Amino acid sequence: MSSDQTPSGTFSDPPALTLWNRVREREEWTDEERQHILDDLFPEDHNVVHYVKRFAALLILSTTIAAFGLVANSAAVVIGAMLVAPLMTPMLALAASLVYGEMRRFMGSVALIVVGTGAAIVVGWLVAFFASGSLTATALDSEILARTSPSLLDLGIAIAAGLAGGYVLTHKGSGSSLPGVAIAVALVPPLATVGVTLNLGSTDLASGALLLYTTNLIAIVLSASVVMMASGFVPDHVRLIAKGRFGVRLLPWAVALLVVAVPLAVHTQAVIREEAFTRVVTQSVAEWDPRASLLDVSTELSTGRSTVEVTVATTSDSKRPAWELAKLIADKEGVDVDVEVTFQTAESDASSTS
Amino acid sequence: MILVAVVAFFAAACTPTSDSNTDQGVVEVFGPFRGEDAAKFAATVAPFEEETGIDVRYVGAGSFVQNIQQRVADADYPDVALFPQPALLRDMAAQGALVPVPDEVASRFLADVPGAVIGEAGGVLYGIWFRAAAKSLVWYRPDVFEARGYTVPKTWGELVALSQVMKSDGVAPWCLSMESFGSTGWVGTDWIEDIVLREQGVDVFDGWVAGDVLFSSSEITQAFATFGAIVNDTGSVLGGTNRILNVPWQRAADPMFDAEPACMMQKQASFWVPDASLGTVFGENFDFFILPGVTAAPAPVLVSGDIAGAFNDRPEVAAFMEFLAGPDAGVGWASRGGFISPHPEFDPADYIFDVDRKVGQTILDAPSLRFDGSDLMPSVVGTDAFWEGIRDFIRTGIFPAAEIDEAFPRPALFNDG
Repeated sequence: MSSDQTPSGTFSDPPALTLWNRVREREEWTDEERQHILDDLFPEDHNVVHYVKRFAALLILSTTIAAFGLVANSAAVVIGAMLVAPLMTPMLALAASLVYGEMRRFMGSVALIVVGTGAAIVVGWLVAFFASGSLTATALDSEILARTSPSLLDLGIAIAAGLAGGYVLTHKGSGSSLPGVAIAVALVPPLATVGVTLNLGSTDLASGALLLYTTNLIAIVLSASVVMMASGFVPDHVRLIAKGRFGVRLLPWAVALLVVAVPLAVHTQAVIREEAFTRVVTQSVAEWDPRASLLDVSTELSTGRSTVEVTVATTSDSKRPAWELAKLIADKEGVDVDVEVTFQTAESDASSTS
Repeated sequence: MILVAVVAFFAAACTPTSDSNTDQGVVEVFGPFRGEDAAKFAATVAPFEEETGIDVRYVGAGSFVQNIQQRVADADYPDVALFPQPALLRDMAAQGALVPVPDEVASRFLADVPGAVIGEAGGVLYGIWFRAAAKSLVWYRPDVFEARGYTVPKTWGELVALSQVMKSDGVAPWCLSMESFGSTGWVGTDWIEDIVLREQGVDVFDGWVAGDVLFSSSEITQAFATFGAIVNDTGSVLGGTNRILNVPWQRAADPMFDAEPACMMQKQASFWVPDASLGTVFGENFDFFILPGVTAAPAPVLVSGDIAGAFNDRPEVAAFMEFLAGPDAGVGWASRGGFISPHPEFDPADYIFDVDRKVGQTILDAPSLRFDGSDLMPSVVGTDAFWEGIRDFIRTGIFPAAEIDEAFPRPALFNDG
């Protein structure tokens, strides 16, 4: 808190404004401070070409790294790509132009994001085209799959990361934390995933990854805008003139957030049900044959027929028939299931002669 | 050295979820249908559940035959089991595990449904034959027959003559292959059974299935001679011995649908239909006729199918058996495809596929029906030695009749097939 803080609010202030002033940590920013931050976000006119070149280079490189990391299923490589990724800056710029109400910069940021998004998808597609090897849409590794089915957790992460991004930006000194934000709410890896999965011909997986990206984009812009507004980053004369319109400008973003929250919520519910179903299957296996040890279980819950595949280790004389397991699961869960049990019996035999 | 043996079983379970009225009782049904077929069976019983409030819980097992034998051995009976083989049903009736179909239902079913007697053991009806397949069908292409000027043969003699014409036209008359994993040979046993039915009639057939007529008798060796004139004759079967034994039976007739068909006819059961990807349209480029008899009189039809037997006599179980014996059993399945009803009052409009409707009519129109003989013989012969004998016959032209007579357990439990 700065020492030159004035008493928060007056008797004539409406309660909301009093609260607003309490939330604000500092009343006064110098124009230099503001300019410094804005310089970080927006290129000066004579620097636009240099800025765009740098953006393009970093975007292509980071997407290439991310796509290779995804194909190779390497978490470390994908995280590396996040640190190179340049998309966070235009998003924070977008938030700043929103709170400032600057149409020209707003449109510039939107253009940069749209072109960057499209370019990243194309690069991801190209990397998969040349390097996907034996990868198929039905047998994908965890790094790709982790980005194709976002849930409400991802929304929570994106909101918190957006708040952090806005905070870091407006509280210099902690600027080195921005890479952490970029890792928490990655933008380039989901786009690379969109490109890779499109190349593999799965629009389902691609739209899942695109939903994750969209969620992150909207949440970052919205929450960063709120932090910028709350931190007093916007000068009073701008804020007061634009006061009524700040909410209007943010409204589409809030609505968009709610819109993406719907599929996320649906998916979250599905994940919870799937996990509960897997628990039921695991319990049923234990009940079915207490002597069998469960090596692998894979379930797919669906409204029609659910499928269950389990692999158990047993001794060959204690094998229980699969139908008993199917009946247990069906009775517990009240669903129709197709059950496939794979039995593994480990036997060994050895001999030596000399 | 570590050996890892992997064995897979499949099972499916159906529990209809609409249950506000389970207090009317639960019927546990155990059968061989899994996956899609389990869902179709569930659709079949849905009207019964709605009408009666009885909850039918179906469990399907990939290893049904072993599983039901184990369950009976453990006295862990389902209420109803759906047997794909009548011999198994008869075994269990003989063991006293099954309860007879209630008299009133039994007499009506036996009166209404031709072939219903297949569910009898020792003169008592234990099983309801609710789902049928016809085996005596010869599949061909009407468009190709017309283009080449062939006509559907009415007698065995015409069939032989037609085959000669096809051969002289430079095309194999028969598409025939029988590879079927451990069951390779059943396609051939169907052939022999159909020939015995045509050449010798139903009485010799029944005696043969019961073990009274020997494989080495002149009646049965004659059937092998007739079959041999096809499978051991150069040029009669596409690809000869090698293709017969090594190409999966489902793929036998693929060359019939080539732009330049390489073979003209396939004798196969109604559960075969040509791959839709071959561009087939029933009535236009695929159809069937019944394997002709010695004379132009309609020949007997060989059938198979599924037979329901009850292990318990609770009222709800009896009600379910009565439903399966009625004309509405299988409506939900037929409307999804893959179900033929043996019941004369089954509404033909309920078949979604024209080919299913024609098969259903073929069974109803047959002058006599006989159930698949190898399914009725003791399994050591019917699903083992007979199959192996067929493989030998294809390879060498010699059928080991004496060995099979030796292996045939006598007396058979029930001789009333």
